[in-house]
Amino acid sequence: MSTNNKEIRIGFYICHCGTNIAGVVDVDKIREFIAKKDNVVVSRNYKYMCSDPGQELIQKDIQEHRLNRIVVASCSPLLHEKTFRNTLEKAGLNPFYLQMVNVREHVAWVHSDNEKATEKAKALCNAAINRVRYNKPLEKKRVPFHQDVLIIGGGIAGIHSALILASAGKKVYLVEKKPTIGGHMAMFDKTFPTLDCAACILTPKMSAIKENKNVVLWTNSEVIKVEGYVGNFKVTIKRNPRYVREDLCIGCGQCIESCSYKEAKYPDEFNLGLSKRKPIYIPFPQAIPNSAIIDDKTCIHFKMGKCKQMCLSACERNAIDFNQKEELREIQVGAIIVATGFKIYDPQKEPEYGYGVYPNVYTSLEVERLINASGPTAGEVILRDGTKPKSIGIIHCIGSRSEKANKWCSRVCCMYSLKLAYLLKKHTHAEIYNFYIDMRTPGKMYEEFYDRLLMERVHFIRGKVAEVTDISLVKEEEGKLILRVEDTLASVIRRIPVDMVVLSVGLEPSEDTQKLAHILNIGLSAEGFFQERHPKLAPVSTFSEGIFIAGCCQGPKDIPDTVAQAGASAAEAMAMIDAGYFEIEPITAHVLDEFCSGCKSCINICPYSAISYDESKKKVFVNETLCKGCGTCSATCPSGVMKQNLFEDDQILNEIEGLLVYE
Amino acid sequence: MAQELPNKSVIYERQLDVNFADLMQSMPGGENLRRCIQCGTCSATCPFSHVMDYTPRKIIYLIREGFKEEVMSSFTPWLCASCFSCRVRCPKEIKITDLMYLIKREAIKNNHYPPKTPIVSLTKESVKMIHKNGRISEGYLMGIVLLKVSFLKLLRMSGLGLKMLLTGRFPLIPEKIKRHGELKKILAFSNKK
Repeated sequence: MSTNNKEIRIGFYICHCGTNIAGVVDVDKIREFIAKKDNVVVSRNYKYMCSDPGQELIQKDIQEHRLNRIVVASCSPLLHEKTFRNTLEKAGLNPFYLQMVNVREHVAWVHSDNEKATEKAKALCNAAINRVRYNKPLEKKRVPFHQDVLIIGGGIAGIHSALILASAGKKVYLVEKKPTIGGHMAMFDKTFPTLDCAACILTPKMSAIKENKNVVLWTNSEVIKVEGYVGNFKVTIKRNPRYVREDLCIGCGQCIESCSYKEAKYPDEFNLGLSKRKPIYIPFPQAIPNSAIIDDKTCIHFKMGKCKQMCLSACERNAIDFNQKEELREIQVGAIIVATGFKIYDPQKEPEYGYGVYPNVYTSLEVERLINASGPTAGEVILRDGTKPKSIGIIHCIGSRSEKANKWCSRVCCMYSLKLAYLLKKHTHAEIYNFYIDMRTPGKMYEEFYDRLLMERVHFIRGKVAEVTDISLVKEEEGKLILRVEDTLASVIRRIPVDMVVLSVGLEPSEDTQKLAHILNIGLSAEGFFQERHPKLAPVSTFSEGIFIAGCCQGPKDIPDTVAQAGASAAEAMAMIDAGYFEIEPITAHVLDEFCSGCKSCINICPYSAISYDESKKKVFVNETLCKGCGTCSATCPSGVMKQNLFEDDQILNEIEGLLVYE
Repeated sequence: MAQELPNKSVIYERQLDVNFADLMQSMPGGENLRRCIQCGTCSATCPFSHVMDYTPRKIIYLIREGFKEEVMSSFTPWLCASCFSCRVRCPKEIKITDLMYLIKREAIKNNHYPPKTPIVSLTKESVKMIHKNGRISEGYLMGIVLLKVSFLKLLRMSGLGLKMLLTGRFPLIPEKIKRHGELKKILAFSNKK
């Protein structure tokens, strides 16, 4: 132990935290014990160190006693390390000369034997005194922030974020995988609980995206590579060919009319296969961009190379371009907002519900299209077999709340099932049965909507249907789909024959979530949705600085919550952009250049891809902006030359020594 | 029924009366029954629910789902003591006590109630007596009801009856209220509706 360094002057402070600490730990004893240690100039105890007078006490001591190291024994550094570092800074001392000892969570709160707890506190405080001697001054780094933002996903979340940022004058790149923006919301008919039409409230925002000069909209595109770090992301985007020039096409539809296919033949993705489209098509009337697209998998020109190319001659604006190729674009952005939405649960995984077996079993999303005026049947509820339903069963919780499918409650199904029950009733005047496990209506005006539905003569049967079958047992059941259910409120088993079954499918992470998580280097939660930094206090941040999440890619949620998150993401991104720079903690790793052998052991082990190899020097180097200071590389380095600021060997070893030998 | 049901313990839709809930909802007391969220406050607050065959909550649910037979042959409405606790505590403002009276009125109107229920006779005779005399004379009423329901019971309770008779609490001759004619007019008016 080097105690001969006369320059080191330590100030020690132990906090009572009211009675939180002082009630268990003998703070006077600790104060006296530490006061006797080498280099300790001041040793004090105080009721609340984090209070203004507590902090002033430290500042005064630093100046009066020329202290140059401070140890505060109080609560967890997660709570007040920042507070005390600021205190040191205000007194003109480098903030990293502070060492905290957690004598609350680690001692007072977890031990009942006061004497032993005091002994433990002694050891911990001594360890900190030992360590703080070796603390080095560190400087925070500022990184300039690029002003543009990338938004991945053109659903309501992405659209809303883009419009907010654009209105603040920021340049936004909005990247959407599909040929049009709008996402799932564009497919919905009405929205709960107010029943305003989804298109009516969404399409003005879609048009605003197109009109806004600050928004660069790239549909039919995917993010394939993200490099760099907060404030300085370099993103590569693949723009898939549309074969129709967006800048020329006005969506007149002449090309579609003239296509060699006289009849629409291929399942229309937007209507979930409930209607057909041609190889050249516009996804839906209000699509943005309102431009045709050629599906190269079904177009005769691409399939066989022999086509009269009637579309080409039909287009007066010469917008069709069969030679369009896939393009890679590279952009620089400061922040990224991920709003990639969700996909619905595939009910074929549970064959007892007969989806894909019985034509009159539908998913809830299909029914949204079926009752939509611009849908495949122009809003008339006509079943796949051409009949109109006289009775309809809506089964909640398909794929949700199940260990076999998805464990979570998808949050929106109860409400959209109520909405569909209402709309189906209005459209068909059929007898409607809702089968639910629990009715979950948490939201403004949601329970009121349930009350309204109860009065609409809709059946609410508590119990999950166990099977959908066409095997009839009595005459009335013939030709119908029979739902077998335990009516748990009447305590009987019932068989209910219906003409149409609606499966209220749950929400799950969209297909490319995992791939994108890897590209962006952000985490996934156990369910596979993007992981927020904190479930309550940082719900739209991720563990990668400068990357935010909004909407259903973070977890199932309704439109109001999605829009709220989209706004929050935009605001958080804006706060970073407008600061102009980003401050990074200096607790990062660095290589002692002359000793690095270039073995690259550290490169693959780094969870943040912060370490790269310099071919010319044959050595590795750490990108301090990406480094989170986890220490994995330091522990891995076989030569011991990967150093981690604030966690260097002599700091840690002396801390351990102080812990073991303290009297 | 035309066709034998394959499994008697399973409820088939044809056993249910889809219009039952509408009928009940259309009458005083039944207005809010569809708003029921099946919380069970009524059943938990009811001082008699533990002896009922269906709790009040279940009665409402059964009405809503068309279990007419079960509702009409249930003892529940006949055991209701009209304490109105359920009505006071119901979060959805369902007039549960009124609903019980509604069921009883329907039952008597259609002669559709659980067999051998003394309370049905008691209700019928009470109403009859009020129409006739304007009030109830307990001794006389009990005599008639017990005679109709069970002669054995009448004998068993005669000791108590005799005591009450001797203390003058149990007049054998039915009493009449003053101005009985006015009450008759009121009753006639309400029955017209």
